Amino acid sequence: MEVFLRGYSALGPYVPVFLFIVVAVTFGIVTLFIAKLVRPHRPYPEKLSPYECGVPPLMEARERFFIRFYIIAILFVLFDVEAAFLYPWAVLYGKLGLYGFIEMMIFIGILLVGYFYAWRKGALDWVKEG
Amino acid sequence: MSAEVPLSYYLILGALLFIIGAVGVLTRRHALVILMSIELMLNAVNITLVAFSRMQGNLTGQVFSLFIIAVAAAEAAVGLAIVIVLFNSRETLNIDEINLMKW
Amino acid sequence: MEQFFFFLFAAGAVISALLVISRRNVMHCALFLVLTFFFVAAIFVLLKAEFLAAVQVLVYAGAIMVLFTFVIFLVHIPRTEKIRQTFRQKNLALALGLLLGLEVAYILYGTMAAPASLPAAAPVGAVGNTESFGVALFTRFLFPFEVVSVLLLAAMIGAIVLAKKEIDR
Repeated sequence: MEVFLRGYSALGPYVPVFLFIVVAVTFGIVTLFIAKLVRPHRPYPEKLSPYECGVPPLMEARERFFIRFYIIAILFVLFDVEAAFLYPWAVLYGKLGLYGFIEMMIFIGILLVGYFYAWRKGALDWVKEG
Repeated sequence: MSAEVPLSYYLILGALLFIIGAVGVLTRRHALVILMSIELMLNAVNITLVAFSRMQGNLTGQVFSLFIIAVAAAEAAVGLAIVIVLFNSRETLNIDEINLMKW
Repeated sequence: MEQFFFFLFAAGAVISALLVISRRNVMHCALFLVLTFFFVAAIFVLLKAEFLAAVQVLVYAGAIMVLFTFVIFLVHIPRTEKIRQTFRQKNLALALGLLLGLEVAYILYGTMAAPASLPAAAPVGAVGNTESFGVALFTRFLFPFEVVSVLLLAAMIGAIVLAKKEIDR
């Protein structure tokens, strides 16, 4: 193990991350596989049908999602990108000073216009008013 | 001990992913899968840009990769909104059936 | 050692990308796309672009794929009338893929002869990738950076206008 790490100087800090991912994935796969070996498998139609409080299923399980979720998801994606731009700014904040502050305020200000637009249009209201 | 990976390997990887994305756009019929293939192509371009940035020794390529990621997010948001509107008016996502400019 | 990791991640990325364009179930496509994004993020780490790797996971695998999954649930297609996938335009796509491959091979032919080895000392020395990245972003690329916010604003308004129409219906 030590030899493995020493020969790998450039990306050394990432080796534990890589090992962590490998172990996590292997653990999941191995657990599922062992469970498949051990558990009994005797299916019949009633057992395979989805459980809906004991009554026979009425309609298909994949109901259509509410479209309001989608608007929330859009806002999440776009503000997530904004957050990605904020990280290097936060790291550099001390060096950039007032200049960097004004830069970022313009950036956030322009995006806030979109946020208020969504708010005014009622895209954020869960239940439509009136 | 740690043999460096030549630049051309990264470029070949980017080209392979780009070709896979292009073939996906051409062959698939599902509108969502076509959008996913476009994301694949954008990612391939990102790999190429970052590889060149590493070779040039400056960060221009990386900064432009970040811009590409932002563009991809914007594209996904609008493209998927169009897909939803399309589905609600045509009840299908098969792009062979979506062949009218106006409905 | 670095080559081993490169081939591992590259093979993973290519295989999962192939699965993205060949699976029938859209949900499987989306999940394999997430896997591809993770492998690409690993490639970014190999290229010493740690910040971009983090953004790749945060924005692509985290946010954009959430959006895709939402839409897959939103567009509810009954099981009986799934889109039949017969890989139309297969010949055209194969020809185009081959053409692209040949083009890349031609361009790389010269560089392969004298392999341009990447500079061992990356631009990111002691300061760290995120910090030097920020310096480039906030000084040289200030204007594109502000334009990105306008682009995001346009995307936000466009998507809300489109989705709002569906809510009001």
